[in-house]
Amino acid sequence: MSAGASDSAVGVKLVSHFATVEQQKRAAVLGMWAWLLTELLLFAGLFLTALILRLLHPEAVQEAARHLKFWIGAINTVVLIGSSLTMSGAIQLSRLGWQRGMVRFMLATAALGTLFLLLKGYEYYADYQEHMMPFLSDRPYELKDSPPSRLFVNLYYVATSLHGLHLMTGITILLVMTWQASRPGFLGQHQNRIEIFGLYWHFIDLIWILAFPTLYVLNR
Amino acid sequence: MFGTSDERRTLWRHMREPVLTAGALLVMLGINVGLGATLPVPHVWIVELLVAAVMVATILWFSMEVRHEPPLVKLFAGIGFFWVGILFTMTLVDYLSRG
Repeated sequence: MSAGASDSAVGVKLVSHFATVEQQKRAAVLGMWAWLLTELLLFAGLFLTALILRLLHPEAVQEAARHLKFWIGAINTVVLIGSSLTMSGAIQLSRLGWQRGMVRFMLATAALGTLFLLLKGYEYYADYQEHMMPFLSDRPYELKDSPPSRLFVNLYYVATSLHGLHLMTGITILLVMTWQASRPGFLGQHQNRIEIFGLYWHFIDLIWILAFPTLYVLNR
Repeated sequence: MFGTSDERRTLWRHMREPVLTAGALLVMLGINVGLGATLPVPHVWIVELLVAAVMVATILWFSMEVRHEPPLVKLFAGIGFFWVGILFTMTLVDYLSRG
């Protein structure tokens, strides 16, 4: 049985405070963009701080960055690019009304997001083993003779854990939406939810595309 | 998963652009990883930042489909990055011009 054969009706149910479906869809996209831009400014402040630390304390930051797991960061970037591809697949199939295929792409997206978090968790564990968590009072910090490196390492944890929190939130929303989307009639009433969520998912990818060079690559 | 050849053709027609976008992003990531791992020239960070900027533009333009959005959304997206540009420029001008 093919996934595409079970075409569903595609559409958006008009809610009372909009005049037309088109107006409703555009308002949803604009609202999501407004929120994403506040998120962009939040992360931009963190990345800017990382660059300033690099300028002020180049040796200390390079020494700290040598402990980052460059190759895990690179693999994680590949994983997120893959998840963006599957999310785009879900959006495309939602437009076609291919509900079953769309649900599979959504599940694949959630699985890749989870893989990212698992790899990140392993990275944190390796950092713990290497005594690279300066905020732990009961565990001596590896680079204790380099106070500025603490600033960079702490910033690394703030930026990556904040990104991880966004990803975790995204996976949770995606799984709930996948459950909703697997029910009959979803695409006939709420197709644009897939598109709006897709914007969020791609944005998480975009933030990591900036985080990887800022934290891992530039400081080598 | 997609049984008939018509379905596969339809799928490829719709997936062609996302696949090419992901391919382009992977190539650019490969360039940045290669530069970061080998550090071939001094000031390689300039190239790395440029590649990252092109990757971000690719995600905005193709994955997030900004090019298909109405002018107001394009303006929003543009202004957001413009603000980030002001933030980075003014702050870095300060730090870089200190004696």
